[in-house]
Order: sequence, then C-alpha cells, then structure tokens
Amino acid sequence: MTITVTINGTSKRLAIEPGERLFELLRREGYMGVKTGCGTGDCGACAVLLNGRAVNSCIVFAAKADGGEVTTVEGLERDGRLHPVQEAFLDEGGIQCGYCTPGMVIGAVDLLSRNPEPTEDEIRQGLSGNLCRCTGYVKQVRAVQQAAAAMKGGGNDG
Amino acid sequence: MVPTHIRDYIRPASVEEAWNVLAERGKGAKPIGGGIDALLYSVPETTAAVDLTGLDLSYVRDEGGLAIGATTTFTEILEAEPARAFLGGILVEVLEKVASPLQRNIATIGGTLGSAHPWSDVIPLLYVLGAELSLFDGQASRLSMSEYFARRVSGERPLITEIGLPAEGKASACAFEEFSSTGFDVAVLNCAAFLSVESGRCKTVRISIGGTPALATRLTPVEEALNGSPLDDGTIERIAAMAADTIDARDDRRATAGYRRDLTRVGVSRCLRRIVEQLGGVE
Repeated sequence: MTITVTINGTSKRLAIEPGERLFELLRREGYMGVKTGCGTGDCGACAVLLNGRAVNSCIVFAAKADGGEVTTVEGLERDGRLHPVQEAFLDEGGIQCGYCTPGMVIGAVDLLSRNPEPTEDEIRQGLSGNLCRCTGYVKQVRAVQQAAAAMKGGGNDG
Repeated sequence: MVPTHIRDYIRPASVEEAWNVLAERGKGAKPIGGGIDALLYSVPETTAAVDLTGLDLSYVRDEGGLAIGATTTFTEILEAEPARAFLGGILVEVLEKVASPLQRNIATIGGTLGSAHPWSDVIPLLYVLGAELSLFDGQASRLSMSEYFARRVSGERPLITEIGLPAEGKASACAFEEFSSTGFDVAVLNCAAFLSVESGRCKTVRISIGGTPALATRLTPVEEALNGSPLDDGTIERIAAMAADTIDARDDRRATAGYRRDLTRVGVSRCLRRIVEQLGGVE
C-alpha cells in the first residue's frame, strides 16, 4: 500500500507493507535517530512524534502515519540550531551511551508541549516510558528543567 | 521483534462497513484502535487489521454521565475536562498510571476492552463505575460490562463503539488499588470499589477484582453482603475477608493464589476505607 506522510516537514509518498511498523519504515527511509530497543513498546528508544504526540514507533503500524505528520529527533532543529531540549541535554550531560537519547528528547518535547512548567515529579512521570540503563535519570531531569526555563524565555517552541 | 502476520490494512468508512469485513473474515480480521496488540500478539490466522480510528469515535462528552468514544486514547481522556472532573477524579487517578505516557498516546479505551487482558486496570474500574457499552454487530445495542464479556465467552465479538459511564449522585465514591512489582509492570492484582450511601447505609455497591490471574469480574455475593449495611471498621474487615475467599485465585509466575487472596483482603479494605474518607464517614 502507499501512504502520504510528512516527515520532519517534508511530504513524502511511500510504499509500505500493510503489517509494517512505523520504526521499520523510518529507519528504511534513513532516519537513524529512531533506535530499535525492546520492540515491544517498553523502552522508548524508538519514540517519535506522530501528529505531535510521542509514541513508541515499534508498536504503531506505519499505515497509521498516512495523512499525518511524523517528527524524528533529526527534525527538531530549526535553522541549523538544535532544539532547546537537545541543547539542554548537551549542557547538563544528560547523555551517556546515547542510545536512549533520541527517544528521551522526543518524550521531553512532548511533555513540555503540554506542560511547559513541569515539576520534578511530573518530569519523572512524563519520561517514565523512556528507559535509560546508564544513568540514574538525574541529569536528564535537570536537562528538562533547563529546557523548560529556556523555552519559557521565548526560545524555540518545539 | 515479534513477527506480524498482517497482510491487509483496512480503513472502513463506517461502523457498518467495519462490521461487514469482520463478520466476513471471522478470525482472519481484527478490529484495532491504537493497534498495539495486533502487533505484539500477532497470530498467523489473523491477517487483516481493521482500523476503527477514522470513524469519529474519539471523544469525551458530558451527557450527565460520560460518553467516551471507543477509539479515544488514554491521553485524550486524561486531557478531557469532563473526564477529569468525573466522580472525584478517579479516571485521572487510575489512567495516569496505566502503561507509559508514550503508550497512553497510542492505546484506546475500546482497544483495552477488546483485548481484555486479565491484568487490565481499566476493566475492573469500568466494572465498578457501572459502564455500559454501545455495541454494533449488524445492529446497535447497549450492554453492561458483564453482559458484554458473557457474549465474548460464547464466541461473539460485537464491535465496541462507545463506553458510557452513568452520572452518580453526591453521596457516592470510588476507589482503586493496584499491586504490581514495579510502577511500570502490569498488576499482580487490582481492586476497584464503588459505593453510594443513603441514610448511613450502603445502597449501590460494586466491587471488582482483576488479575486473579483471570480477567476481572464483579464480586456479586460480596456486593450483596455489603448492600444495606453501615460501613464501620468491623464491616470493612468482614467484607474484605469475604472478598478474599470469593475470588477465583490461582498461582502463576507473578504470584501464588494465597498471596492474591491476601492482596484482595488488603486491597478491598483500603478501597472501602478510602471511600469512607471521601464520603466524610458512613455511620
């Protein structure tokens, strides 16, 4: 089957298999920021924004993107500048091996889009679908706090 | 990666069209909301996914009670003001702990009922909220949760189009208790209770236990024993012990039957005490 989908702002007509998962399509199209982790919707490494909402792309049919918009971590920068969430993850060192990072950044962008001033508890709840096996989440939480402050100051609205 | 056997992805234009495809293909086709279970639990005989999300069944409406469209995601329910305000915020309390934020952006309330996982937190909650399901199987009908699951047991698969929650009076409250190994893991056991009181006595009583490890059911004999009674400490302990004896507890890899009976006693007791608190005492 053929779908029309806007990926990171570019409209594409793509041939897909009816039973294909969204992350398989995205990686085949070269969006390597979409990581494969558990494949069962538990770890969040494959998170992308589908119509503005962060989803595990390993448990979503590619067909569901038809007529919609997908944003991967590659699509967050604007005019050559990283998204405030990406900047904050770099500044705070909210990264160790890096495998969970794209999904966690996507999760944080979704969280801040609906709750621009989250408490620490709300950040931890909001990122509870993004597992990191290196860190203790402390620096990621700080990064989201920093991003929230930066975005409140009139930065990129994500 | 779990293989998927889906070879046809069908987007019907109406509920009738969806039903016709499902009726024609039988086990060969599966209705989907978010589609998570069609991917995670794909079986060789089911080769078609029938996506219901294009049928305008995503809504939360205040109609005295609540009307929730079958393909409404948990996130959409959590963000809908009528759902947040319903019965002291019980839907928010339970749903914001279901799965992860990423999964709640995908999973739908109708899909959860259709999948009928025994560990589901949503099913015991909907039982005690007195949910009625609007269904379609060639003709429209409206059944209680118990009637719907009885039809499932007899092999029927009516399509769910809407979940209706009746309006409740001021002297009513609901409480929920889940036991799981970690915050993210599915329930070892869960308990839900709803009560309305009149003149200091329990009037409408609904209690449901899930993850026994079987699919949640109402504990009708326990509900009847509490009906008409005041809700003092002694009654709460007696009812909680009776619930523990009543459930169909079995062993599985998550817990033993005995542990599940203990959890039932503790869970029912906690739910009833919390209801007493919410109602400002039932004497």
